[in-house]
Amino acid sequence: MSVIKKVLKAREVSSFCFLVALFLIVGVINPSFLKAENVTACFNTSVVYTLIAVGMAFAIFTGEIDVSVGSNLGFVAAVVGTMIQNGQNWFLAFGVGLVIGVIVGLINGWGVAVMKVPSLIFTLGTNGILRGLMYLTVGVQQVNQLPKSFKDISSMTLIGNFSIYYCCAVLLTVIIHFLLTRTRKGRYFIAVGDNAGGADLVGIPATATKIWAYVICGVMAALGGIIFASRIGIVTSLSGNGYEMKAVAACVLGGISLSGGVGTVIGAAIGAVIMASISYLLVFMGFSSNYDNAITGVILMTIVVADALLQKRAAVKNRRARLAARTEKVTKEAAE
Amino acid sequence: MKKLFKGPNAGWNSFLVLLLVLEFVVFGSANPKFLRIPLLMTASNDFISICIISIFVTMVMITGGIDIQVSSIVGLTSIIIGVAWQDFGLNIWAAVALAVFCAALCGALSGFFVAYCGVQAMVVTLGGSFLYSGLALLVSSLSSTEAYKGISGFPDAFKAISKTKVFGVIPMQIIIFLALAVIAWFLLHRTKYGRKIYLVGVNQTAAEYSGINSRLIIMSTYILAAVSAAVAGVVMTAYLGTSKSDIGGNLTMNIITACVLGGTLSTGGKGSILGTALASIAIGLLRFGMPLCFKINTQYLDIPIGVLLVVVVVGRALVNMPSVQAKLGKLRPNKEKAGS
Repeated sequence: MSVIKKVLKAREVSSFCFLVALFLIVGVINPSFLKAENVTACFNTSVVYTLIAVGMAFAIFTGEIDVSVGSNLGFVAAVVGTMIQNGQNWFLAFGVGLVIGVIVGLINGWGVAVMKVPSLIFTLGTNGILRGLMYLTVGVQQVNQLPKSFKDISSMTLIGNFSIYYCCAVLLTVIIHFLLTRTRKGRYFIAVGDNAGGADLVGIPATATKIWAYVICGVMAALGGIIFASRIGIVTSLSGNGYEMKAVAACVLGGISLSGGVGTVIGAAIGAVIMASISYLLVFMGFSSNYDNAITGVILMTIVVADALLQKRAAVKNRRARLAARTEKVTKEAAE
Repeated sequence: MKKLFKGPNAGWNSFLVLLLVLEFVVFGSANPKFLRIPLLMTASNDFISICIISIFVTMVMITGGIDIQVSSIVGLTSIIIGVAWQDFGLNIWAAVALAVFCAALCGALSGFFVAYCGVQAMVVTLGGSFLYSGLALLVSSLSSTEAYKGISGFPDAFKAISKTKVFGVIPMQIIIFLALAVIAWFLLHRTKYGRKIYLVGVNQTAAEYSGINSRLIIMSTYILAAVSAAVAGVVMTAYLGTSKSDIGGNLTMNIITACVLGGTLSTGGKGSILGTALASIAIGLLRFGMPLCFKINTQYLDIPIGVLLVVVVVGRALVNMPSVQAKLGKLRPNKEKAGS
């Protein structure tokens, strides 16, 4: 019984139900949507969002935010794409991409955790720098001569219609989820976000944990960049622009609280699927893709406002319960 | 003039003035064209929207919030003017009024969610940036003109907003900026309303207990920011002569940089209009001078602006660190702390 209650209470479950409901509503309006290949396509297109949303989740767990992931992703995609295009060793290119992700993460972590600069402002700065560096790498041309063998990986499937990339992303998410919830170090992230001062007092290294969160976020963005290059096949100087906002939105949709300390990476992955599906679903509902941003905005705002109101109500209820218990105690003592 | 540099922010404001002078010296010596006043005045069109908006975003940040939706409101304003004028046949000034009114509504909606529902400002304005840029796209699809072309052919009276030159030198948009800066300065530093904004930013609970309707104050700052974005949208539409839904582009980083460089504390409670105004002009000159004097592609301008933002915030964090402050105190035992 308690297991069922726990499952129902988990926030990612409600976002999963939301996703299913979304699919069903679209299916009712347009029955041709409910085919295996359409549903799997929704999941497959979300792979880049899934990776960066899981990375972003770490930053948000610790109570911070990282808005540099979009440019980080684009920069890595540009560098890796250029290297592969020039015929360099693939694994060398991947290595360089991941190292860039680590370096960006370290810089962000240093600025936010060590220098105590507000995270939004610091990462906004690194976002600008990375975007500029990306222009320097790509220039006026695009990276569009990627070898076919590199692009073809994205169309390979592993289980059913699910692409090899999406399967890997899901596997990675599940592994990260278990590391986060079942290991001592993994729980540090949530603890720091829940109460940084308290975490420090019980001996959790808050600064180091935050730096780790940013490094993980940077690496996930780099991974997303590599897959972006392979999936899309073209990297322009605008690639990845605005992805940071989609990643934040995915986390919020997945039930992660932006004040930190609440949520799971599974939720972030589900949120990413919702984010990626919206434009795909619109096509089936007969809307133009012009509605994409407006609907994303409406969904995002509705969810956060509803969430805030529910939390407020719960807080008031708890306070009343405490107050009632206290007055009961006082009256009992008075009676005695 | 001297009086402006007194007060808590004096040290920082003098630093900003120094930065401006430095920019003039460096850019002016690299390329004398930079010092031609008419050219400089015309070029101000490219960055005046950053200046106009950042002044009012400063107020939002003083209350402890942040506003990243303003750049999408700029585009929404622009496209509403175009569609209302061309496709609905409204008078151009009625169209402008309608656009400003819609922008104020957008600001009020986001402000309401932040102030009355207690959602984080960052999330609400993130949602707002999606929503309003999406709405702008939808409005543009109402028009008979293709969205990528933009609506053009505005009457001369409207275009005059950016063409008129007062005394033959100072273009109208600079007058608009200066007027708004004076209004904002008066509001923030000379009225009860301004004092309330600061108090809400320092401690909202305390403000609430002392009888201030803190929620209304917070909401009003978002409306002001949105209206300033609308004014910027009008000026930009008049200057470019076309109305497009994505005219705001990526102003966000420049605006936040201007606020932070101007000495606004993103945690609230601190900031000044003069500081932001000076900082936004410094950023504008940077955006104008870099391509002109050093042949840097405008697309690369994100690098220096980003570096500036990071250096300023890290530098200020360094100055505030106890160990560094102790050393500074030893170095200058008689001087009082530089206002940072």
